[in-house]
Amino acid sequence: MRNLIAFLQRFRIFLVFALLQILAISWNVSYLNFPRSQYLTTTNDISIQVLEWEHDLTKHFNLSKNNTQLQWENIYWRKRQPKFMYQISRGKYKIEDTVFEQQYTYIPAEVINSSVTRRNNYFTINVGKLQGIKKGMGVFCHEGVVGVIHYASDHYSLVKTVLTKDINIDVSIQMKKSDLPGLLKWDGRNPRYGMITGINNDLRIKKWSKVVTRGGSGIFPKGLPVGKVSYTEPIEGQALWKVEILFSADYRSLQRVYIIKNLHLEEQEALEAQIPADEE
Amino acid sequence: MNVVYKHILRFIVLTFLQALIFNQLNIGFGIHLMIQPLFIMLLPFELGVIPIMGLAFLMGLIIDVFSNTYGLNASALVLMAYLRPVVFKFYGPREGYDPLKEPTAHDMGTRWFSTVFGILLALHTFWYFLIEIFEFSRFFFILQKTILSGGLSFLLALLIQSFLLNRNQKK
Repeated sequence: MRNLIAFLQRFRIFLVFALLQILAISWNVSYLNFPRSQYLTTTNDISIQVLEWEHDLTKHFNLSKNNTQLQWENIYWRKRQPKFMYQISRGKYKIEDTVFEQQYTYIPAEVINSSVTRRNNYFTINVGKLQGIKKGMGVFCHEGVVGVIHYASDHYSLVKTVLTKDINIDVSIQMKKSDLPGLLKWDGRNPRYGMITGINNDLRIKKWSKVVTRGGSGIFPKGLPVGKVSYTEPIEGQALWKVEILFSADYRSLQRVYIIKNLHLEEQEALEAQIPADEE
Repeated sequence: MNVVYKHILRFIVLTFLQALIFNQLNIGFGIHLMIQPLFIMLLPFELGVIPIMGLAFLMGLIIDVFSNTYGLNASALVLMAYLRPVVFKFYGPREGYDPLKEPTAHDMGTRWFSTVFGILLALHTFWYFLIEIFEFSRFFFILQKTILSGGLSFLLALLIQSFLLNRNQKK
């Protein structure tokens, strides 16, 4: 016993150091598995209050740019509304649409806190569980995909953006014209450029061809813009392309985002739950 | 008591400078400015390693909460606090440090300060990016980020020291 105490006395500095390092690094490695550790993020009550004060000051910095963007978006949708169009065939027939049904609905939100320089970048937005936000919902801005909801508290939530290490799990993409699926990646260098892997070498990819969401898992509708191909190069020793894309959204000055709620998701999940589990 | 208040003030000011201003700055080239190592550096000579590591962990935790980095800052700051006495001993005078002096550029000379703080900051920044990126195949990218961010943070720390903290001392 005395030896043990002497040992602890002698190495106590190193032991405290090792304990603190293990605490910090295990938190860093395993934060996905422990929901309680999510309390120590920007969504908790104290830090969000401070960040809201800061946001009240800094939200005006990109205001004119964001307003112009919203105006352009308004014009885009206004042009497509039937009541602002010139009607060529008047009163001949009435359309009662039973072919189309609304599948997605959108919740607007504002970005309170964001970062683009880290390896894994998260945005804090000002809607939460009370507005019906759940983990795994898709987030986009009018220019392109932003990410998925990583964690939702009562009034705020955390968005895991496409500028993270393992975003290919959450956001599935494809080429717009050729419907080729690929894996979206981000290498941590530049917030304007991402990468796609998994596209075979024998298929041609045109420069500036568009990349859109695939919409398979029900998180995003099909065809939301992600970016454009800016550079292609064959990977040495593999039959694959290395494709670099320019993100269509500029994440550095993002302020307004939309959260996508899929009204058919429960139906889809209930259906997929009936797939029998593998028995081996 | 005056000394304790001064360090508490530094803790609060540097933590919030980092969490609210330098975290939000986006300079480009992947540069991430870090000012929190300056607090660990400026703690008094006679303070033990374990309290310093405790303070470092607390400060890192607060900054992690504000920047969604999950323990990254805490880990890097604790490493720096652990290595601080080792580097201090290596570059210290033969008869030991004068307990009346503080480890600032003002008290100990700019040359001593920039050597010791440069080494500690380089270790801190390297560890930070190593854990953050965690891909050993991209070692040169880690090195590039360390050199760019560390260099700028070093200049920033010298500036902050000469403008903000010296004024505190005159009071």
